[in-house]
Amino acid sequence: MRSRLIVFVSFSVLLSFAPLAQTPPQKPQQPSGGASTGPAVTYTSRRTVGITDPNAPVVFEDVTDKTALANFRHHSGEAAKDYIFETTSGGVAIFDYDGDGRPDIYVVNGSTIGAMRGKEKAPRAALYHNLGNWKFEDVTDKAGVANERWGFGVAVGDYNNDGRPDMFVSNFGVSRLYRNNGDGTFTDVAEKVGVARKGWSTGATWGDYDGDGRLDLFVPGYVHIDLDHLPPSPSDVNKSGVGQNFCQFRGVPVMCGPRGLPGEGDTLYHQKADGTFEDVSVKAGVSDPEKFYGFTSAFVHVDDDKLLDLIVVNDSTPKQLYMNKGDGTFEEIGYPSGIALNENGREQAGMGLAVGDYDNDGRVDFHITNFSDDSNVLYHNDGDRNFTDVTFQVGLGEVSIPFLGWGTSFIDYDNDGWLDLFVVNGHVYPAADTHQWGTSYAQQALLFRNVKGKFERVGAPPGNALANAWPGRGLAVGDLDGDGRLDLVINNLDSKPVVLRNVAAPSGHWLGLRLVGDVAKQCPRDAIGSIAYLTTGNLRQRQDVVSGAVYCSQNDMTLHFGLGAATKVDKLEIRWSDGSVETFDVPAIDRVVTITEGKGR
Amino acid sequence: MKQSLKLFSLIVALFFVAGSAAAQDGATILAGAELTRVVPSSFYFQGLSAPTQMRNAAAARFGKDRYVISGLVDTSGYSADVRAKYVGFLITDSAITLNGESLPAGAYGFGFATEGKMTVMDLGGKDLLSVAVTNDKALRRPRPLMMSADPGGVRLYNGKDYVVIAAK
Repeated sequence: MRSRLIVFVSFSVLLSFAPLAQTPPQKPQQPSGGASTGPAVTYTSRRTVGITDPNAPVVFEDVTDKTALANFRHHSGEAAKDYIFETTSGGVAIFDYDGDGRPDIYVVNGSTIGAMRGKEKAPRAALYHNLGNWKFEDVTDKAGVANERWGFGVAVGDYNNDGRPDMFVSNFGVSRLYRNNGDGTFTDVAEKVGVARKGWSTGATWGDYDGDGRLDLFVPGYVHIDLDHLPPSPSDVNKSGVGQNFCQFRGVPVMCGPRGLPGEGDTLYHQKADGTFEDVSVKAGVSDPEKFYGFTSAFVHVDDDKLLDLIVVNDSTPKQLYMNKGDGTFEEIGYPSGIALNENGREQAGMGLAVGDYDNDGRVDFHITNFSDDSNVLYHNDGDRNFTDVTFQVGLGEVSIPFLGWGTSFIDYDNDGWLDLFVVNGHVYPAADTHQWGTSYAQQALLFRNVKGKFERVGAPPGNALANAWPGRGLAVGDLDGDGRLDLVINNLDSKPVVLRNVAAPSGHWLGLRLVGDVAKQCPRDAIGSIAYLTTGNLRQRQDVVSGAVYCSQNDMTLHFGLGAATKVDKLEIRWSDGSVETFDVPAIDRVVTITEGKGR
Repeated sequence: MKQSLKLFSLIVALFFVAGSAAAQDGATILAGAELTRVVPSSFYFQGLSAPTQMRNAAAARFGKDRYVISGLVDTSGYSADVRAKYVGFLITDSAITLNGESLPAGAYGFGFATEGKMTVMDLGGKDLLSVAVTNDKALRRPRPLMMSADPGGVRLYNGKDYVVIAAK
């Protein structure tokens, strides 16, 4: 009787859902099992290299070889990539370290196992001083920022409010905090002030989460690696005892991880009044006790309160969204907000993070890059702590599937007032070039034009920079030549970086804003966490001062607004990090202006 | 004839009400400490024990003391062919049905190698049964694996796809 009842009820339920079950899927079949990397498919062509369009506009010109950056070589382990830590470095920063008005470039370098064991010379990071007119001078030695540890990320913030930007360089090993001395030199004060994080640190972010006017520091942890007990490598495949436990991708032996390897927790450092830091990760509720594989983070205002929130992008595990409760603690709402997973409820291999209001509705949205055979994901901020995965609706889904994405940034490359999107790609498995996986080790970057909230891929003219393929990782955006068009720097694994000059034409009017906060009002001097709302006609744009994000990288913190055909700014409103709001007059455009807290209305 | 029809309708109505009541009384979705107490931290399948993804585990209690437990596992240690068919486990301490198909008490692996189907395997990887999943397009916040109440028992979700588990 009981089973008859259940059969009857089950049949009723099935009948009631039958029309839904018969509806054909609108999107590519998502793989099952929790993670979102797709099923094995054999392709006869690679879809990540050699894709050109003779009718495409020329947007970027590769000017690397005209600059000193052509002499830089990133180096991260051996070419075989036997271990995961050899595959994910490194970041790049654009910031004006000497305050001369021209943004400079810092390029993170990797290392080798031999160097880590003291048996060979460590690769060096590099700082390039922008001399103007695309001339850069390597000032690494003078500045003292070579790092010479296994570097992954860089996050810029003026932690001591002295008006000079400092750098946190996250390492596999011990991380560094380079304090800017104001004379062209830096001093590593990480040990002294208490932020010398050990382990594998990745994409950090600065932000004043407790509103005391002093920047705090959040550092994600990735995978726990013990160099004395390394995981199996592909060359171990035939050794006894390894067998099918070995790590594979589509049946091919590859480096292990991150799945199957222990993760690392995350660290929040609170800055005290004396300029030293204390680890408040557990107390604040952001310690990541499940040890997800953290890659990129950003302090940013997700809702309309005055409190700075925090997003953490994790590899192969759910993303975390921490809402600031205002009492020194955070509430993690990744699942209920929709940020943790994609729209099909799958965990994704999150890498990079773009922060921006792509649809000009006044709320900040997130674009996140993922592994190949999965799409990148765009989360639209619906308000009320809700996000919707709109990737496929806006045109960013299908095109991104063959690519393994890293650095991603919203960039209004044509100054039309709508944030476009640039994504850097590159695979982690060298075997991608020798198997029919439809992808490749070096990959083209992706540029998308934003057409009022929908995205269209901008093709690569043959022979142009965008037609090239790179093993890309870090990405930074800034106007390197002061012409009002945003340029790019890409840090490539085991290669030289790429400097892309924006030559887009036509290009709209623009305005650059350098915000200066009032420390006396509990706003950090570099204004991290502040928001600018700029109105021209019916268009109201939002830009946030953000430290970190992208992928282990740092965009220039000068806020850049494309104005399109508008020749004046109707309204400029700044919501400072301390919560106060001011309106400023903007007498002229097509220039960078400094906006100082307390000087507005 | 009319009276027979009325009687038949009454029986059907009673049948449905009784069934609903049984289902409502019968299934409880476990959470918190109750959940972690029953979910194993790892699961053996086809030559390996793999850790359970505790965030992607769910369990239900039928009646007073009959449990159905399910979880995704970290399959990174398996060969590609096993990973292609196996994603998690299903443990039941009494006989159940899966979309009406009988499954005796035991521990099983499951996966979704065939599109639109959930396949249940014995611990050696041999297919035991395969049932069609239903896609719940209206589900707002899907998870890799979760359970929710269903008039016929509980729904075991994988993303937006689900099957109905009922006590036998």
